[in-house]
Amino acid sequence: MSLVHANTKARIRKIVVYAVYIILLSSLQVSFPDKLGFAGQTADLMFVFVILSGYFNGFWDGAVVGFVAGLVRDVFSPPAIVGLDGEVRVTAFIGALSLFAAGIAGSAFFTKRMHRNVPFSIVAVLFVTTCYKVLGFLLILGWSSLTDAKGGLYSPLTALIYSLLPQLLLNAIAAIPLILLLRFLGPVSFRGGSHRDEIVEKQGEGSWLEI
Amino acid sequence: MKKLFKNKWFIALLVILVLTAFAVLSLVPGSPVKKLLQPVQLVTSPAQSIVKSAGDTLSDFWSAITDGIAIREENKALKEQIADLRYHLTQNEEAALRYEELKDALHIKDMFSNYDIYGASILSRESDEWFSTIRLNVGSSDGIVLEEGNSYPVLDVQMNLVGRVIETSDTESRVLPLFHEGFAVAGKVNAVNGATFMVVGDAELKRQKLCLAKDIDRDVVLEPGMQIVTSGDGGLFPEGIPIGVIETVDYSNPLEVTATIRPYSQIGKLEDVFIMIPYVEEEPEASQNAAPAGN
Repeated sequence: MSLVHANTKARIRKIVVYAVYIILLSSLQVSFPDKLGFAGQTADLMFVFVILSGYFNGFWDGAVVGFVAGLVRDVFSPPAIVGLDGEVRVTAFIGALSLFAAGIAGSAFFTKRMHRNVPFSIVAVLFVTTCYKVLGFLLILGWSSLTDAKGGLYSPLTALIYSLLPQLLLNAIAAIPLILLLRFLGPVSFRGGSHRDEIVEKQGEGSWLEI
Repeated sequence: MKKLFKNKWFIALLVILVLTAFAVLSLVPGSPVKKLLQPVQLVTSPAQSIVKSAGDTLSDFWSAITDGIAIREENKALKEQIADLRYHLTQNEEAALRYEELKDALHIKDMFSNYDIYGASILSRESDEWFSTIRLNVGSSDGIVLEEGNSYPVLDVQMNLVGRVIETSDTESRVLPLFHEGFAVAGKVNAVNGATFMVVGDAELKRQKLCLAKDIDRDVVLEPGMQIVTSGDGGLFPEGIPIGVIETVDYSNPLEVTATIRPYSQIGKLEDVFIMIPYVEEEPEASQNAAPAGN
């Protein structure tokens, strides 16, 4: 396996760059949500970043970045839900679960067929955002019927107009600077006219397993 | 079997199952699963504080440039106001002394005299519509000790209701904001014998920054503009904390009269908040028993 020939410096650089992105984006998102918001929704920088990491840099990047970014989200702003006993409780690991799944979904979204091209990455962001919102809505619907808590429910039309559409718009806009960051500031460089995914090609997608 | 564990999709499925199990376990009261996040908190919290303060500095700098002229005008008006207030202050000082004398004499009780007030700063807010708790920079090491089933009110600097503390760790607390669909507090119209009802968060109203008033008696007359405060029913919140004003009332279904309330507190713009923690006064008997021993 190509893992044996992996360049340690490149891997360390990759970890450092990802760590900086995760800390910076998650901090920005939870510190200034009012500046990133529109129509009651907030541009989900972490979510978009995780999808793009998976889309551009492969399965393991998406999975690991998604998992770590999700843990950070669980620390910064975990969801509180009504438990089966009617008490509201702060949960853990739901962020890690959702962003891990988002990273994987991003890595699997026609990446080979579309050769990880830039314009299609926005389609990937829109697709995974739609999946996230629809699944979230269905989960809330199911959980609310279990706990008999109706306060968290809204109609499908409201969900579409006031939740999904603004979120799609905001995430698509947020994707543009994040694509530029990922493409030109690393961890994988595509400069010099090369359109090849250097690290994935050299180290294989399983490079994280070696660390 | 070895081959299966090398399959990335199988590993992903395992991780998803483990994370789902952890998420469900985290709902169990006193679950140790949440402690697994402490190392992440140790690393990320200081980094987030740095990013936040850098962002605040940039924002202040930008405001200083853009608001320069407005600030100058405001400064001029404020100087005049200070002169006026100084005059009133000297007059009020005497009135304050009189009040203190009369307060003891008439046994006037401060509305929140049985509460300790702790100041706190907001560290982080919601990251999307579902990840929507607020994180504060005080925890059990600062005296915010929360027992299972208990909760403390959180107020803004104008003493308006912001939400309630639902979880504390050593250094941080988490607040359930007023708009959250899990939030509920007994409210009443701010008047003598004002009508009582429940004020709850609602997912549909959250995006409009509104709360819902429900369980309203159909004979009660509510009108837009009426001030709503906590009623004190239930015991978690003291009576009289301002919540907001009624915006609309819906009498279309007499069996389910509802109203929307616009909270006073602008939660999205808050930087500092206060936590109210009740304390139990020492019983007079105990102090009386102790006195003779000293004598």
